[in-house]
Amino acid sequence: MTDISAQARPSATPEGGEAVRQDAGWRMILRAFVENRLALAGVILVVIVAAFCFIGPLFYHTNQVATNLLLVNEPPGAKHPLGTDNLGYDVLGRLMAGGQSSLEVGVSVALVATVIGVLYGVISGFFGGLADTVLMRFVDIMLAIPVVYLFIDLATEFKPTLLLLILVLALLSWLGPARLVRGETLSLRVREYVEAVRTMGGRSGRIIVRHLVPNTVGTIVVNATFQVADAISILAVLSYFGFSLPPPTATWGGMLENGVNFLYDGYWWEIYPAGLMIVLTVVAFNFIGDGLRDSLDVRLQRR
Amino acid sequence: MIGFIIRRIGQAIIVILGVTLIVFILRHLLPGSIARAILGIRATPFAIAAFNRQNGLNNPLPLQYVSFLNQLIHGNLGYSFKQNMTVDSIVSHDLPNDLVLVGVSLVLALLIAIPLGIVQAVRRNKLTDYTATGIAFVLYSMPAYLLGLLLIAFFAVNLRLLPAEAPQASTISGVLADPSGLVLPVATLTLVTVALFSRYMRSSAIDSLTQDYIRTARAKGLRQSAILYRHLLRNSLIPVATLVGISIPGILTFGLIIEQLFNFPGVGLAYFNAAVNGDYPVVFGITVLVAVATVLGNLIADVAYAVLDPRVRYD
Amino acid sequence: MSVLEIDGLRTFIKRRSGVVRAVDGVSFAVEPGETVGLVGESGCGKTMTGLSIMRLLPGGGFIADGSIRFGGTDLAALNESAMRKVRGNEIGIVFQDPMTSLNPTMTIGHQIAEVVREHRDVSKTEAMARAAEVLALVGMPRPAERLGYYPHQLSGGLRQRVMIGIALACDPKLLIADEPTTALDVTIQDQILTLLDDLKERLGMAILLITHDMGVIAGRTDRVLVMYAGKIVEKAGTGRLFGRTRHPYTAALLASIPRLDQPVTHRLYAIPGLPPDLSAPPPGCRFAPRCRFATEECAAGEPVLGGPDPDHPYACFHPIDPNSALPPAEVVDRHDRIESGADSDLLVLEHTVKEFPVTSGALMRRAVGTVKAVSDVTLTIRRGETLGLVGESGCGKTTIGRMIVALERPTSGRVMFEGQDLGSLSGARLRQVRKDLQLMFQDPYASLDPRMRVGSILREPLQIQGLGSAAEQRERVADLLREVGLSPRSTELYPHEFSGGQRQRIGLARALALSPKLIVADEPVSALDVSIRSQILNLMRRLQAAHGLTYVVISHDLSVIRYLADQVGVMYLGKLVEVGNSADIYDRPAHPYTHGLLNTIPVPDPEVERAKHGVAVVGELPSAMDPPSGCRFRTRCPLAQDICAAEEPVLRAFGAEHKAACHFPLQTPVASSEVLVQ
Repeated sequence: MTDISAQARPSATPEGGEAVRQDAGWRMILRAFVENRLALAGVILVVIVAAFCFIGPLFYHTNQVATNLLLVNEPPGAKHPLGTDNLGYDVLGRLMAGGQSSLEVGVSVALVATVIGVLYGVISGFFGGLADTVLMRFVDIMLAIPVVYLFIDLATEFKPTLLLLILVLALLSWLGPARLVRGETLSLRVREYVEAVRTMGGRSGRIIVRHLVPNTVGTIVVNATFQVADAISILAVLSYFGFSLPPPTATWGGMLENGVNFLYDGYWWEIYPAGLMIVLTVVAFNFIGDGLRDSLDVRLQRR
Repeated sequence: MIGFIIRRIGQAIIVILGVTLIVFILRHLLPGSIARAILGIRATPFAIAAFNRQNGLNNPLPLQYVSFLNQLIHGNLGYSFKQNMTVDSIVSHDLPNDLVLVGVSLVLALLIAIPLGIVQAVRRNKLTDYTATGIAFVLYSMPAYLLGLLLIAFFAVNLRLLPAEAPQASTISGVLADPSGLVLPVATLTLVTVALFSRYMRSSAIDSLTQDYIRTARAKGLRQSAILYRHLLRNSLIPVATLVGISIPGILTFGLIIEQLFNFPGVGLAYFNAAVNGDYPVVFGITVLVAVATVLGNLIADVAYAVLDPRVRYD
Repeated sequence: MSVLEIDGLRTFIKRRSGVVRAVDGVSFAVEPGETVGLVGESGCGKTMTGLSIMRLLPGGGFIADGSIRFGGTDLAALNESAMRKVRGNEIGIVFQDPMTSLNPTMTIGHQIAEVVREHRDVSKTEAMARAAEVLALVGMPRPAERLGYYPHQLSGGLRQRVMIGIALACDPKLLIADEPTTALDVTIQDQILTLLDDLKERLGMAILLITHDMGVIAGRTDRVLVMYAGKIVEKAGTGRLFGRTRHPYTAALLASIPRLDQPVTHRLYAIPGLPPDLSAPPPGCRFAPRCRFATEECAAGEPVLGGPDPDHPYACFHPIDPNSALPPAEVVDRHDRIESGADSDLLVLEHTVKEFPVTSGALMRRAVGTVKAVSDVTLTIRRGETLGLVGESGCGKTTIGRMIVALERPTSGRVMFEGQDLGSLSGARLRQVRKDLQLMFQDPYASLDPRMRVGSILREPLQIQGLGSAAEQRERVADLLREVGLSPRSTELYPHEFSGGQRQRIGLARALALSPKLIVADEPVSALDVSIRSQILNLMRRLQAAHGLTYVVISHDLSVIRYLADQVGVMYLGKLVEVGNSADIYDRPAHPYTHGLLNTIPVPDPEVERAKHGVAVVGELPSAMDPPSGCRFRTRCPLAQDICAAEEPVLRAFGAEHKAACHFPLQTPVASSEVLVQ
C-alpha cells in the first residue's frame, strides 16, 4: 500500500489558493437584466412615457383647465393632432397631463406602500410568535376586502385630493409587500450567517439592519415595481368610475370614462389613445419587474 | 388533516369577525350621522331621533357592534330606504346571475390557463412561450374595462354581432335564455382571469418541470405525454386550489367592473349603483358579503389543497 | 460479450459562458455480473458519464462524440423513442436523493407499477402484484401494506429501496447507481450497499457504481475507474488500484483521506489548488498544476491511458513506481494536552436535556409532541483538548454544539463554562462570554452573508465586541486571512467568488477573530470535496497548536473524528452511549452501536473491507419524538434482551476515561461492583 505524506511543493500563492475576482453581485444582476430584451424594452418605454408626460408640455402648450365649447369633438387635424374631447380639451395635451398624475400617483403609492410594508413585515417576521400572528391576522382581514369595493366605499364619503388619494391607495397596497417581506424574513432569520452574528454577541437591531434588510432588497425592489404598475392600473379603474381626482384634473381613466359615451359616435380618438397609454405604461413596469425578478434568480442560482 | 381544517376554520372566523369590525367602524365614520345620511338632508330632527332610537344608535358602540353581528348572523344585511327593500332581497335577486358569470368564467379560465402554463413551461423560451407570455402580459396590464370596451367596440359596434348589453331579465332562467348577451361579459372576465392565472401557472409548471422526480420519470422510459399528464399535471394542480383562493378578490373586482360596463344585473352593479346614489345600507351590506365570500373562498381553497396534497393528508 | 462498451465518449454542456467539456474522451467496458466503480470528485464528469449512458442529459448537454455500445446497439446514436425502450427496461438508474427523486403525490406502489406497465404488456393488477414483489425483493418490511404509502411517509433508507425497486422492476441488465448512499446515514448506507450486492447476485446484473467515496469503492467494486477533470486517469482491478497505485492523483487522493487504521500522528497529505475549469481546460495533463511530480513535459502534452500492464492502464508521464522505497511518513507533533487538574476543566455539561416542542397550527399553537433531542448528557471538556461528538442524524450532537455556544438554552441541566452557568448569563455579561465560545458552521455556502464583503464579514465580530480601532481591526483581518491560508486581498471580494474550501477557511477565520478559548466545529468538512478536506483538517490542527484552542468537533464521519479528537463521545438518539479517548473507542469499543458504526464505515482498503464480517446495524432509526423505552438502541441491537426494554442502562467505567451505557457491553467493565452515577 503506497503511503505518501510528504509536504506539498511550496508555492508563492497562499495555501488556500488565490482568490479569483469574478463579478460583484450587482454587476451580474445588471448583466442578466440587460440581456432580457423585454425588461430592456420596459425601461425604454417608461423613459419615453415619462418624457412624454413631463417634458412634452414644455414644448406643446395646451390649456387643460379652461373648457372651450366651440371646439368640442374635433377629429384629429393639423391644429390638434389627436383632436379634442367633448369639453374642448386638446386630447394630446390632456394625455400628457393625465400621465403626470398617473405616474406621480403610481410611484408615490409604491414608495409609501413599500416602506410601510417592509417595516411591518420585518417586525412581524423577525419577532415571530404572538406578535407575528396578530399582525398577520390583521393583514388577512384587510386583504379579505377587495380594494376597489373598499375604495368605492370610502370615496362615497370623502372627496379625494391628490395627497389623500395617494395615502389611501398606499394604505391599501402595503399589505402585499408586508406579507412578502415577512415570508422572506422568516426564512432568512434561521440562516446560518444570521446565527453566526448571534454567536458573536450581535443584537437583534444589527441583524435586522445589516443582514436581513439588505438580503431582502431584491424582492422588495421587484415587488415595488409591480406595485407601480398595479397603482396606475387601480387609479385608471377608479378614475373610470369617477372616484378619483375631481375635474379639471386630467386622468387617463377619466378620459376613458368620458370617451365611452361617444363610442357609438365613432369618436375613437377620445378613447383609444388614453387606453393605449395605460396599457403601455403598465406593461412596461410589469416587464421591468419580471426582468428584475428573473435576474435576481440568476444570482441566487450562482454558487 | 382534520386538525389542519379545524385550524383553518378558526382562522377564517377570526378574519370574518375582523372584517365586520372594520365595516362597522367605517359605517360610523360617515360624515354627519348615519341617520342623516340615510334619511336624507331634509329629514327632520324628530325623524332622526326616531330613527336613532329604532336602530339602537344611541347605545354604546360595543353594544351596537354586538347587535350588528347578531343581525348579520341572522342573514339580515340591512335595509335600503332608498329602494325600499331589504339588502338581502336585492342580493338574492342578483346573486344567481353573478354565480353564472363568475362560475362559467372561472371554469373556462382554468381550462385554458392550466394547459397553457404547461405548454409554456415545456416550450420555454421558444416562440410559443414568448407569444403566449406576451399576450398574457398585455391582457394582464389592461384594465378590465378597457378589454371589455375593445370587445364591445369590435364585436358590438363594428361587427354588430353581439349585443353590448347583458340580458336584463329578472330571473336567472331569463338571463340564460339570451345567451348571446352573455358572451361578451363572460369572455372578458375569462380573458382577464386567464391573464391573472397564467403568470402563476407558467412559473409553477417551470418549477415542477425541473424537479428530480421528472428526471426519474424520464429514466423509466415514459413518453413525454405520460410524464406531463401523470406527473407534472397532478403536482401543478395542487397549488391551483390556493391560486384560485388568492385570486377571488381580484376576480370579484373584475366582476364589478364588467358588470358596470355591460350593465349586467349582478351584485357588483347593485353595489356600484348604490354607491353612486348614496344608498349606504346596500353599500355596507354588500361589502360585508363580498368580504365573507372572499374568506370562504380562501377557506375552501385551502381545504381543497389539504385534501389533494398527500403530504398534508397523511400527517 | 460486454454488457456495456463505451468508446471515446465526449459529453459537452453548452452554457452562456462557453462550452464545458464535462466528459472528454472516456472509454471503458462493463462485463456481466461485475460491479465497476467510477470514482472522482465533484465536477470530474462521473455523473455526466452515467447520464450520457441513459441519455438523460440536463439542458444544454449533448453527446459530441463517441459510442456507447449496449447489447449490440449504439445508444449514443439511437433516436428518442428507441431510447425510451431501453430506459427503465434494460438499464436502470438510481439517483442520489430519494426524497426529491420520487413523486410526492403518487403512492410508491403506483410509481413502481408505472414502469412495469410501460415496458410489459400487463394489466393494472398484475403490475401492482409485481410492485409488491419488487418491494419484498428490496427488503421493504410489510411490502403489501406499504404499496399505498406516499414517499414522505417513509424514511430515507426505505425511500432509496423504493428507488432501487423502480430501477430493477423490469430486470435490467445494467444498473447505474449514482451516489446512491451519499444522502443516507452510515448504518443505512451499509444496508443499501449490501442490498445492491445481494441483488446483483440474484438477478445477474452488472452495476456501474458512481461515487466519490474511496471506502465504498474498496469494499464493493470489482474494478475501478478513476476520473479527473473529464478524463479517466487510471483503471485497475480494485485490489490492484489500492495496492499498486500508479497515478499520482489516485495516490494523492488516498493519502488525503483520514483513515481508521492509520496512526494519528501522521499528517494528512493535502492536494494543493483546485480542479480546473472545464470550459477552458489546461493544455497537457489536467492534473499537472496540482501534481508534485509534474515537469514541463506534463504541461506540454497530454498523457494517454497506457502502460506495461493492459489490465492496469494509467495516463501519466511519471507514474508512481510501486517498487521504490516509500518516503517516511511525516510525523507531526500533536498539541500537548494540558494535564488534568481542577481548573483545567473548560466546559462541563451537567445532565443537560433539550427538548423541542413540536407545534402545529398558525392560529392556536398546540404542542403535538416533543422532540427529545438531547436526553441527560454529561460531558467534561478539558482545556486544550479536542472532543469529538459522533453519531448519525437525530442523535443530538448538533444540538449540544449549539448549547455550548449558547445558541440554545437547555430545557434542564446546566452548561458550565469556566465554572459559570451559561444559562444564568444574559445581556452584557453573556456577550462578554461569547467571545470565548465560537462556532464554525457546516455549510460553506450558507454561513457567510452573500451581501457582505469578506473584509466586513471578518470585521463584524470585532465591531460587535468593540475590539480595537478601525485600523487595528483591518490589520487583524489581514492577519486572520494570512493565518488561514488566504490572500489579504480577499477582503474586497464577496463570498460567491470563493470556492467551498476557501469559504470554510473564511468561516474558520471568523471563528478565530475574537481569540476564543473554545471553537465548536459542526461538520467542518462534510460539504467539501475529498481532496480539499485534508487541507482544512490540517489547518485546524495547525491553528489549535498555534493558539492553544479547545475544539468540539461534531461529525458523522468517524475517521475525521479520529484524526482530530482526543476524547470521543458517541451519541445515539439523544443519549451519550459511549465516551472515551481515541484508543478506547477505536480499538476497544464497549457499546454495540460504536462497534456497529466502526464496522460499517467504509475504509479505503480492499482487504480490510473484505475481512469485515461483524454484525451490521439493522433496521431504521426510530423517531426522536417517541424513542424506544429503556435502552434506545435496543431496536437495532443484535445483543438486545428483555432487560434492555425494561431498564435504561447507565454509564459504567471501562477504563480511566472510558465509559459506556449498555447491559451487554463488548468489554469488561472496571470495578464492576460500582455503578458510576455521572
